Amino acid sequence: MPTGSITPLIALLWVLNVVLDTGGQLAFKAAAGDPNAGDGLARWLYMARRPWIWLGIASYVIEFLIWIAFLSLLPLSEAILLGSINIVAIMVAGRFLFGEKLTRMRVAGILLVTLGVAIVGVGG
Amino acid sequence: MKRGWFYLIGFLVLVLFDSVGAISFKYAGMHALPVEANTAWLLRLFGRPWVYGAVIGYVGAFFTWMTLLKHAPIGPAFAASHLEVVSVMLLSIWLFNEPLRLPHVLGAIAIVAGIVCLGFAESREHVPEEGEA
Repeated sequence: MPTGSITPLIALLWVLNVVLDTGGQLAFKAAAGDPNAGDGLARWLYMARRPWIWLGIASYVIEFLIWIAFLSLLPLSEAILLGSINIVAIMVAGRFLFGEKLTRMRVAGILLVTLGVAIVGVGG
Repeated sequence: MKRGWFYLIGFLVLVLFDSVGAISFKYAGMHALPVEANTAWLLRLFGRPWVYGAVIGYVGAFFTWMTLLKHAPIGPAFAASHLEVVSVMLLSIWLFNEPLRLPHVLGAIAIVAGIVCLGFAESREHVPEEGEA
């Protein structure tokens, strides 16, 4: 069944995977980075009472299924390369939401990964 | 150089867990075809062992990663943790008879170069604390 050509369904699954992966990571970051959370068991109870950690877990559960569906429809060697875009999405999101620095080396890395994913997507 | 061996073996274990996870994901999907947004698909998926292999791969990778990060420099650790794209590509050619085509090779080279850049970027920002090295 996998042919290597990207259909609208495959594109949709790819976008959902990136959104859920990035959303999940950011939700975990928001949960773990809360300065009011305290320590030890109290910290976990504090996090459990707030939505962030649950949002992260829900994102990951749905992403798990989306990723399997995505892999079912594409050759694994191609799918794993296309999935590398998650690295870029998380770095860019971290920059905008948490003010993480984008150094020249990071920008070069982001551009190269994006270029590689584009080559695979267009030429695959 | 005891620590060097620790890292080398640790990173190989990490790549191994990631590869096992990705390949199990692929087998899980293949055995549950066709893809449907319903419970029949979920039952097919979770009624076979592959999906649990995927979970084991990911849990194993997580704990290996956390163990390595206790002491490993973050830059090389970051790069190594994403280099499973190469091992998974090579394994797919062997296990699933997938053709290795030029766009995939060129794309993989650019992605790996990008990951190495990001690894260097992380290394530069991470200043080792007193006594850490």
